[in-house]
Amino acid sequence: MDCTTTNAPAERKFTAKDYDSKLRPIWCPGCGDYGVLQSLYRALASIGRPPHEIAFISGIGCSSRIPGYTTAYGFNSVHGRALPIAQGVKLANPDLLVLVAGGDGDGFSIGGGHVAHAIRRNCDLTYIVMDNQVYGLTKGQLSPTSPRGLKTITSPYGSFEEPINPLLYVLAYGAGFVAQGTPADMPGLTALIEEAIRYPGFAFVNIQSPCVTFGEDDQQLRAHKAKMQKLDTLGHDPSNLLAALDRARAYGTELHTGVFYRNPEPPPTYEALVKLRQAELAKSAKPRSQVLEAFVQR
Amino acid sequence: MANDLIIGMAGSGGDGVVSAGESLLAAVSSAGYHALMTKSFGSQIRGGESSCRVRVRTDRVQNPGGELDVAFALNWDDFFKFGAELPLAEHTVLLHEEEAGPPPATLAQRGPIPREIVSVPVTRLAKESAGTEKAKTTIVLGLLSGWFGIPAAGIEKGLAKKFGSKGEGLLEANQRALAAGIEFARTHPLRHAEPLSPPAAPKGTKLLCDGNDLCAAGALYAGCEFFSGYPITPSTEVMQALTRDLWKYGGTVLQAEDEIAGIGAALGASFAGRKSMTATSGPGLALKTEILGLATIAELPLVVLDVQRGGPSTGIPTKPEQSDLFQACFSAHGDVLRPVLAPTTVADTFRITIEAFNIAEHYQTPVLLLSDQEIAQRKETVDPIDTRAFTIETRRRPSGAELEPYLRFRLTPDGISPISHPGMKGGNYQGAGIEHNEKGEPTASGAWHAKMNAKRFDKLDPLKKRRDLFEVQGDPTAPIALISWGSSAGVAREAFELATNRGLAVKLLVPYLLYPIAEEVYAEFFASVEAGLVLELSHQGQLYRILRMHVDVPKGVVPFARSGANPFRPSEVLARLESLAKAKDTACAASGRKGA
Repeated sequence: MDCTTTNAPAERKFTAKDYDSKLRPIWCPGCGDYGVLQSLYRALASIGRPPHEIAFISGIGCSSRIPGYTTAYGFNSVHGRALPIAQGVKLANPDLLVLVAGGDGDGFSIGGGHVAHAIRRNCDLTYIVMDNQVYGLTKGQLSPTSPRGLKTITSPYGSFEEPINPLLYVLAYGAGFVAQGTPADMPGLTALIEEAIRYPGFAFVNIQSPCVTFGEDDQQLRAHKAKMQKLDTLGHDPSNLLAALDRARAYGTELHTGVFYRNPEPPPTYEALVKLRQAELAKSAKPRSQVLEAFVQR
Repeated sequence: MANDLIIGMAGSGGDGVVSAGESLLAAVSSAGYHALMTKSFGSQIRGGESSCRVRVRTDRVQNPGGELDVAFALNWDDFFKFGAELPLAEHTVLLHEEEAGPPPATLAQRGPIPREIVSVPVTRLAKESAGTEKAKTTIVLGLLSGWFGIPAAGIEKGLAKKFGSKGEGLLEANQRALAAGIEFARTHPLRHAEPLSPPAAPKGTKLLCDGNDLCAAGALYAGCEFFSGYPITPSTEVMQALTRDLWKYGGTVLQAEDEIAGIGAALGASFAGRKSMTATSGPGLALKTEILGLATIAELPLVVLDVQRGGPSTGIPTKPEQSDLFQACFSAHGDVLRPVLAPTTVADTFRITIEAFNIAEHYQTPVLLLSDQEIAQRKETVDPIDTRAFTIETRRRPSGAELEPYLRFRLTPDGISPISHPGMKGGNYQGAGIEHNEKGEPTASGAWHAKMNAKRFDKLDPLKKRRDLFEVQGDPTAPIALISWGSSAGVAREAFELATNRGLAVKLLVPYLLYPIAEEVYAEFFASVEAGLVLELSHQGQLYRILRMHVDVPKGVVPFARSGANPFRPSEVLARLESLAKAKDTACAASGRKGA
C-alpha cells in the first residue's frame, strides 16, 4: 500500500490547516465540538500523517458530522455502527490511521454493544466520544449519560435512570488507553488526542463537549474551567488500573481531565496477529484458480 | 436395471445413518455415478433421530427426487419422524431392522403400503461378523451393495479411508461386516430389487461438495479479501471455510459480535478498497437491513449471502424455504434497488457467487446472493468446472485526470463513478449515508436527491440485458410455461424433461437474476404462454407476486407454491403441467378452436 505506519516520519510538515476541509459545520455557535475539531487538527498536524492516509469513521449525531470537516477520508455512517465499520477499515488496510468519533448516544446507547467488542479485539483505533449528556440533533432528549433526575422533553418529570459511566465501562472491558478532556482546555485536549493516536491499540478519549442549546449550565465551558482537575496534578499514576477505576467513579460529579489509564505493556493489536497468521498460512496457499481441487473425489 | 435409485434411511443419532449415507455417496461417486445426499435431523443438539436420502443416477442428478425406491428403517419411531423427507410408495422396497419388529399398524395411514417389506437382522449380523453392533451401518452398505448393485469396490475404498488409520482390527472388522451384508443379500434375494445400471459416462474426476463449500470457493476465486459475519444456520459453513482459507491469500476473517457488526465491518473493508462479503440467513438479514441501505447510498460493493431457511423468525432453521425473496428485494428504507441473484444447484453456486462479486464491484452496489438450505447443505457430485471460463471484475478506480478534482459521485453516462479508497492520494472524499452531491458533500436539496436516486437506479439497467443470467429451455412457441428459481429449479428442470418426453409443449424459465426484474426477458417468454406454473417453496409464492408487479403475467400462469420443509417432487409438478395442458385442450375443443 501507499501508506506509512502511524509513527513513521512525515513526508513533509503538516499544519492544522492541512486537515481543515473548509466545510462550514452545522453545529450551533458556541458548541463544544468546535473546540474538539480545532484540537483534532492540531493533534493530526503534530502526528504528521498526510490526510489521505487517515480514515475517519463516525456514526450519527451532531458530533458525528466531524469527519466532513476534515480533509481525511471520512465515512459518516449510520447510528451506532461507527466502531464495526472502522474495524473493517483498519483490518482491510492496517497501514491507515483510523479515527472513530461520535456522541454519547451513538457510542453508549444505540451502539453500546459494539464498544466492549472493539476493546477486547484491540484494533489500533482512536475512539473519540463527544459526551454532552443529551441528544442534541433530535433537539434535547435524554441520553445514556444524562444524570438521574434530568428533565428533558422525553423526561418532563425527571429521568429514573442512572447514567452510563463511559470511563468505567471502557476500563472494565480492558481498554489500554483511557482519557478524558474538555475543550475548556484546548492544549490539554490536543495533547490527549495526540497521545491516544500514538497509543498502539484501542484508545478511548471521552470529551466533555458542552451542548450550548440543550445542555445544563454546569456542563458549559465556563463551569468546566471552574471545576476541572487535571489528573497529573492530583498525583494520579496512569499505569495503575485500580487507581484509574477509582478516579473514574467520580464521572458525573467531578471533572477529571488527563490520562486515566495507559497500559504500560500494550498487548499485540488484532491486526498485528492477523499479519502473523497471514504470513504463517501464506506458505500453504495454492493459487486461487485451484480452489476447487479440495473437493475433487479421488 | 435402474438408472435412478433413491435410498432413504433413518435411525437414532447413534446409528450412524448419516455416516452411512456419506459412505454410500462417496462409493457411487468414485464409481462414476451422479449422486446427491440430503440429511435431516431432529432438533436436538446431539443424538436424537437422524435421516438421510441418497439419490443415485447414471446421468445428471438435479434434485433429491420423490418417493423412495429403497427405505431402511433402523427403528420405526425415528423413521416415521421423517414422513416428508422419506415418503414411501407402492414400489418402495422397505427394509427394516429385525429387532425393530414388523411395521406398526399405523404404516397404512402414512400412504401406500410398499409391495415388499423385508426384515433384516442387522444388529445380529454386525455382532457375528465384526464383533460389535457399531458395524451396523457397514452391514447396511453391504446389503445395498448386494441387492442394488452399489459397487463394493467404492465402499471398500471408503472403509479403508475411514478406518485405515484407526488400527488394522477395526478396518478388518468392517470389511467382514461388508462381506456379511453382501452375503446375506445374495442368499436372500428380493422379489422386486432392480439393481443399478452401469454409469452412463466413463469414470471421471468429479467434485463432491455442497453449496456452502462452493460459495466459499467462488468467493475465493472471485478475489474476496475480507469476510465478517455472525454464525447462523444454515450459512455458517461459508464462514468456516473462509476462516480456514482466506488468510492464505492475505485476507482477513472477522467473527463479529452480531449481525450488524458483521455487515458493518464488511462494508468498512469495502470502503477501504477490499472485495468484501458477509453471510447470514433470514433473521440476520433483517438485522443487516439498515447497513444495506448505507451500502446502496454510499455506492459500495458488497456481497451479502442469505442462505434461506424456514421463517419467519426462528422458523425452521434446518429446512429449506424460499421465503426471503421479498426481504432480499424490498427490505429497505427509502428507494432502493439492489441486485438479487440465486443459484439453483450446488454446482452453479460457484458461478453465481463469482457473478455476485463481479456485479457488486462493477456497479458499486450491495448484491444479495440468495441460496437456500437445500443447495447449501446437500452434498452432491459436481462435474469438473472449467474456471478459465470466468472473468473477474474489479471496481473502477479514478484515473489521474479524474482526481483533479475528484468527484466521488460524478454523474457519468453509465452512472458508475470512479471510486477511490483511503490511502489513495488525491481521492479523499466523504462517504456517507446522508444524501450528497457529486463531491460527496451533504445536501438536503430535492434536486440532488432526485438526481442521485436516478443514478443509483439507472446504473443497474444493463443487468436486465444479461441473458446469461436466465436459463430458457423448450419450444419458444410452447403455450405452457414452467418458471422456477433457487433449489426448486432443480425439480422444475426434471419435471420439464419428463413433460417434454411425454410430448407436452412446455417451456422452462429459470432466472438467476431475481431482481431487478428483466421485463423484456419475461415479456418475450410469456408471449406464447397461455398457462403455466411458478414453482417456489414459500407459502405465498413470492416470485409470482413480484412478477405480477412488473410484467403482464398471462392469466393462466398460477403459483405452485407451498411452505418450506415440504419439498416438491418432480412427479407432482409433471402432473400439474399435464392437467394444465389437458384443461387448455378441453377449453380449446369447447370453443371449437384447435388445441396446441
